[in-house]
Amino acid sequence: MMSGMVSCTQPPFSTTRVNCKRDMKENLSSIAKTLKPSRLQQLFFLAECTNAVDLAVGFPDFPAPPHIKAAAVSAITSDFNQYRHVQGICNLLADKMKQMHGLDVDPLTDIAICCGQTEAFAATMFAIINPGDEEILFDPSFETYETCVLMAGGVPVYVALDPPYWTLDKVKLFDAFSAKTKALVLNSPHNPTGKVFNMDELKIIAEYCRTKDCIAITDEVYEHMVYDNEPHISLSSLPGMQERTIITSSLSKTYSVTGWRIGWAIGPSCIAFAIKNIHTKLTDCAPAPFQEAALAALTSPPEYYISLRKDYESKRDFLFKLLSQLGFQVEVKPRGSLFIFAAIPRTCKLTDVEFVEEMIKQGGVIAVPGCGFFHTNHDYHKRYIRFAFCKDDATLTSAAQKMQELEFFES
Amino acid sequence: MLLPACIKSSLRITLYKPLRWNHIAPNHHSSCSNRRRLSVPIFRASSISTVSTAEAAAVMAQDGPTRQYPLQVAKRLEKFKTTIFTQMSSLAIEHGAINLGQGFPNFDGPEIVKEAAIQAIKDGKNQYARGYGVPELNSAIAARFHKDTGLTVDPEKEITVTSGCTEAIAATILGLINPGDKVIVFAPFYDSYEATLSMAGAKITCITLRPPDFSLPIEELKSKISKNTRAILMNTPHNPTGKMFTREELNQVASLCIENDVLVFSDEVYDKLSFEMDHISIASLPGMYERTVTLNSLGKTFSLTGWKIGWAIAPTHLIWGVKQAHSYLTFATSTPMQHAAAVALRAPDSYYEELRKDYKAKKEILVEGLKSVGFNVYPSSGTYFVVVDHTPFGLPDDVAFCEYLIKEVGVVAIPTSVFYLDPSEGKNLVRFTFCKDEDTLRNAVGRMKERLVRK
Repeated sequence: MMSGMVSCTQPPFSTTRVNCKRDMKENLSSIAKTLKPSRLQQLFFLAECTNAVDLAVGFPDFPAPPHIKAAAVSAITSDFNQYRHVQGICNLLADKMKQMHGLDVDPLTDIAICCGQTEAFAATMFAIINPGDEEILFDPSFETYETCVLMAGGVPVYVALDPPYWTLDKVKLFDAFSAKTKALVLNSPHNPTGKVFNMDELKIIAEYCRTKDCIAITDEVYEHMVYDNEPHISLSSLPGMQERTIITSSLSKTYSVTGWRIGWAIGPSCIAFAIKNIHTKLTDCAPAPFQEAALAALTSPPEYYISLRKDYESKRDFLFKLLSQLGFQVEVKPRGSLFIFAAIPRTCKLTDVEFVEEMIKQGGVIAVPGCGFFHTNHDYHKRYIRFAFCKDDATLTSAAQKMQELEFFES
Repeated sequence: MLLPACIKSSLRITLYKPLRWNHIAPNHHSSCSNRRRLSVPIFRASSISTVSTAEAAAVMAQDGPTRQYPLQVAKRLEKFKTTIFTQMSSLAIEHGAINLGQGFPNFDGPEIVKEAAIQAIKDGKNQYARGYGVPELNSAIAARFHKDTGLTVDPEKEITVTSGCTEAIAATILGLINPGDKVIVFAPFYDSYEATLSMAGAKITCITLRPPDFSLPIEELKSKISKNTRAILMNTPHNPTGKMFTREELNQVASLCIENDVLVFSDEVYDKLSFEMDHISIASLPGMYERTVTLNSLGKTFSLTGWKIGWAIAPTHLIWGVKQAHSYLTFATSTPMQHAAAVALRAPDSYYEELRKDYKAKKEILVEGLKSVGFNVYPSSGTYFVVVDHTPFGLPDDVAFCEYLIKEVGVVAIPTSVFYLDPSEGKNLVRFTFCKDEDTLRNAVGRMKERLVRK
């Protein structure tokens, strides 16, 4: 069940039909042999199959904004259904980069439209990593970064953020750089912790990137999910950084359309050029009608973003209060993203996986065991659980009721 | 007109007939009106860009880094630029040429399929789909594959849905090929093959298919395949030549693969566009399913190339690698389109019959036209491409010919040298497509008759 879900290193081989001299397992590439199935995908599937209240998956259970859906419908009806590249998206993104971060971006040469931030990131890795290059990743981190690095022949090097506030340790970061370091990956606002890297931290990261002549790749998919008046600062906007930073982001989280697969990479023109070429060979183009709809999304009025933020902030507050009351250790409210990364109550000796298993069995609430986000061993790496609050109010209320009834919360 | 006579009118396909060949994006987003400029398509062998006329020159300057910046791009990419296509595109725009280069239709897909996508969006199917495919789509793919090949596959364990067949190819190669692995490809080939194999660090062995019939050079294959070969990447019906591998050729490939324990990655996107003979999936030959990854997509069959719905079908021990690579390349595939694709794949046989009939008629217009103009037209059994020998017109090579064709005649074709490892092998050939409405084809032929002179 749950334990089978968290890690699976053995691919499911059927031996009945294989009549070959060579063991078919040998046909997997060496990367494929080491890859574990996406934990998140397994969870998504389990969430679908059970009736558990789903606080696991990082996408909303409420509808996407009507004006954006209408734009997609209109695009399909108007026959925007063949291969295309919608340059208008790049123009709008360039404007946004100027408005939000003061960056001057050339929409013709500096932007690649991809199938989601996932593909933008994968294409960026292929574009810049040579076999043996080292990439610095923060720990905990979203599961795909490491795999993309590995697929491109790179070597991930982890820098642990220190709980309970997930602070950046300058010395640890410095020590992670070597002569082979090619790039550093920064996800802010951060999945799973909800941390938003502040200006001091960004300055440190920028300084090292400059002095070590290292490229930075940012994942800013939660760029509009920042709360308590916390600003989202793009690393690229710091001095000396634009020329060495690739920003990746997407429509998915901001506009609640995770299933549309529209994302982008923005960076120096020679790298954006390479990313575009790779993207063309990986998927050729992003879904055409949704590229059209992106124009409507990216021209949403300021009120849209204000109410998005306000809405998510109150959902965050609700969930935070609930988790605190139940005894989870949540030191401070996350300033960004759609997640609360809560430590299991001290009194409970279960691991994160066991805990989530119990939550499902007993109470029908599902969340993500945190161990999947840690890549180095710490004494705390089995003590965290990620809860998503990008859910309908009814879902959150129902989750609250169910969790309050769970055995290990009864005093 | 793709009108299936014997089924409901809801499957009627409306043709998009542009006034001119270029697609001018309708200005239906008023908030964007100050952003919209005239958009004109630029062709590539496999895909399209829409870039405004005013910006075309700047885009052309994209052929290489324009800023002074230490080039930190990975070594694997140094070969891959879009030079020839950006060159051709700029000329095409300048000269208002009729585009028979682009490999996608200028008419649209069936209403019933588009409506299914719209309904899915309205029903809220806008979040991440299950990574390897929405269940109904996987089932529909399995059902169609069974109808086509007689093979029964498990939709849950032997199918992965991807963003187009291009991604299926990328995921297959990245999931199953190690650096240094020997992979055989047949030239000319679709331009993503070489790029993706390089990304995986493969050693490419190329076997050239030659005119007039581009038949399989079996002796050459025998000499180049060995127990050290990891895979053969093949494409039938074949882009750009239109060649279809015969049963005899497939049997020969199959027996060599079985003997040497080699995998086959079979790109079959044009399987429904088969005219002169039936398409045969190599996976259906004895002993082949267990070593074959069959790749296909929605786009060509249903004239919805921009939706990016493709798939890989393979036994569990092979699909595993494909699935893993896919989940880290794009994570999931566009949800509403998958639901619509499930509807599309349940189209009755009559849809495919009408599709073939319609394309056959278009092909005839083009082929007869090209012959009457004076080209040596090579027989094409499938796809919506034909390749021709342009040398009767006295230009030194395919690129020069295509430039001439755009500037002096006002028609676009693709120079095939870009589809070869050794470009000189393609210098006598250019590729035309007939996936255009009949008026466009006739106009193009008309221009060529008028202005193209044999030397």
